[in-house]
Amino acid sequence: MHKPFAALAVAAALASSTVDAHAQDRLVIAGRDAAFGTALARMVEAYQQLNPSVRIERLELPGGPLYERIALNARERARALDVVMLDDIWAPEFMANNWLADLDRLGGVPGTFVKSADAVSRNPVGTGPRFAAPMVGNVAMFAYRGDLLAKHGLQPPRSWSEVATIARTIQEREPGMAGVAFRGIRGNPIVTGFLPILGAFGGEIIDAQGRAALDSPAALAALEQFLALRPLAPRGVETWNATEVREAMEQGRIAMSAEFWPGWAGTLDDASRSRVVGNVNLVSPPGQTRGPAPMLGAWMLAVAADSPNAARALDFIRFVVSPENQKRIAIETGNPPTLAALYADADLVRQFRWYPAQLQALENAVARPRIAQWNRVEAILGEHLQMALVGQTQPREALAEANREIQRAIAR
Amino acid sequence: MRAQNRPWLLFVLMAPATALFLLLTAYPLARLFLLSFAASDHGFEGAVFVGLENYAELLQGRSFRRALWNTAFFALVATVAEVLIGLGLALLLDRAFAFRRTLTLIVLAPYVLSTIVVAAIWRAWFHYDVGFLNNTLRALGLDGVPWLFDPNIALLSIALADIWQNAPFCFLILYAGLRSIPPELYEAARIDGAGAWRRLRDITLPLLMPYLFVAALMRTLDAFKLFDKVYAMTGGGPGNATETLSMHVHRLAFRFFDIGLASAAAVAMILVAGTLGAVYAARLLRPEAR
Repeated sequence: MHKPFAALAVAAALASSTVDAHAQDRLVIAGRDAAFGTALARMVEAYQQLNPSVRIERLELPGGPLYERIALNARERARALDVVMLDDIWAPEFMANNWLADLDRLGGVPGTFVKSADAVSRNPVGTGPRFAAPMVGNVAMFAYRGDLLAKHGLQPPRSWSEVATIARTIQEREPGMAGVAFRGIRGNPIVTGFLPILGAFGGEIIDAQGRAALDSPAALAALEQFLALRPLAPRGVETWNATEVREAMEQGRIAMSAEFWPGWAGTLDDASRSRVVGNVNLVSPPGQTRGPAPMLGAWMLAVAADSPNAARALDFIRFVVSPENQKRIAIETGNPPTLAALYADADLVRQFRWYPAQLQALENAVARPRIAQWNRVEAILGEHLQMALVGQTQPREALAEANREIQRAIAR
Repeated sequence: MRAQNRPWLLFVLMAPATALFLLLTAYPLARLFLLSFAASDHGFEGAVFVGLENYAELLQGRSFRRALWNTAFFALVATVAEVLIGLGLALLLDRAFAFRRTLTLIVLAPYVLSTIVVAAIWRAWFHYDVGFLNNTLRALGLDGVPWLFDPNIALLSIALADIWQNAPFCFLILYAGLRSIPPELYEAARIDGAGAWRRLRDITLPLLMPYLFVAALMRTLDAFKLFDKVYAMTGGGPGNATETLSMHVHRLAFRFFDIGLASAAAVAMILVAGTLGAVYAARLLRPEAR
């Protein structure tokens, strides 16, 4: 064969092999890091053992970069991802843009999920077809040191103003101990820490008509209450994220945490890591003018709409959310299940004594506003909350400015 | 035959570079410029022409103005400090003394580290409770400093990390400049009775001026693009105290997918950086500077 023809033949073969690669039995999974990543890694390992012929590639990313990766993949129509892991709050945008496959149409996902997590995995919320399967049933809980409160004759707080009073009392009586902690870093963490307080005061970010609603007396009272916790928190709480809060609680350096995710609690009773074994209680967050407003933070699995391996992707998702694997994830990694029945499972309740309270919080959980622009709204609010926290702006000014910017963002 | 006599040869020789320039620089810039007049969440697909609306929104936005100020402040502080420290190191290491080579290697070490590694090192050193800096201060009986969470200090803390990493770059340029000064000039000055300060003022600094400008130009432009250190050390916080223009553009483009506004911010950034570069270049290319 002439050399040019041989080269052409090789190129054609290479090109066809590239095209075939899409159709091969393979899975590309984009998921979170940290405890979520560990859970997903275990599931990939187990699935691979059962399906040795499938080529599986797992990307492990922090929340922000994961969002960017999925969104860019969808916008560029790259067909590079099959299974994507998403925060429930990304779902409205992803579903509205048709970036996720209709799982019911693909064959459905069996299982009775906790109602709040189930609702946000459908479009329209609660009633529409399923576009995602809830994998981690996270809900923002409130954590307190039962032993310390008992030692000082204090009752668990029922309101956020009581949280401040108890924190002050403990800080005065226990040298070196901070009264309360929260995630103060700007963006998603500080917003997530603030939302249960905002809800308890009856405030909203977006009202029922879809308008920005932060410029309200309720929101101002909530922010002032939030800021009142700062002097009762450890120095530098403005830079704290999940790791810092979790470690401070495990090491016995804080008496309460305004926000504590069940996914962080897996090692609280592990004596090899924790100095507070059996002493931390997880309950629904306190209320104030209204009842508790625990925030839903479910993580879900979905099939990318342009996935070249949708059937395989659905099979993997069904595997992960099956009762036996949900239980395994909880036991091995501490990530809470999304199947309601598992909260009554004797093995799990023995290991995670707060599960009954957690189920209650999950059932009453408040989802964040279901708007496609949430990412931007959260960034705006996160920036202004932190500016108020570090004293760059006054609370009223921070809320007014955030409200203006959020309204503009929604209108864009 | 000279190339000037064969214009087609010049054209052929320049074609690859020209094609690369058009493809990799001119085309993206033109696209960016056009997108800055559009409302778009991706590229031109579905884009709507909005005239100067994006620029108006940028100028009204407190975040952009703050990012611009932070970037300019950082570039000024970091560049001045890096050039001055680089100059000091170059003057010091231009002399013959024991362990000079070892010291030179130590001085250069931070420059060879990746920025993310530098950010991780300094983030650990800046830790309020267990960081090296605050532990040292406490050992001396002083209070710890909230390096990264005081909005009045955070940007300076990042500048400190940048100076540690990039002053050696200025040192390299200025050291090369020092080595290019003929030693006869110093000998003659010495014979004429000029002291060390006089030699520095009248020989070293004037002859080093082009090198100082190159170092300042390169560091200013680089500092103006600051992204990775801020991303890794503070994420732009506390509040918006360390948000830079690059971070602002990144956030608009890849978190909000507001490509029109991000393009307008990027155009503004290019204009500012381009103006700075032009000022330096004009100064550098003056006939008397050659």
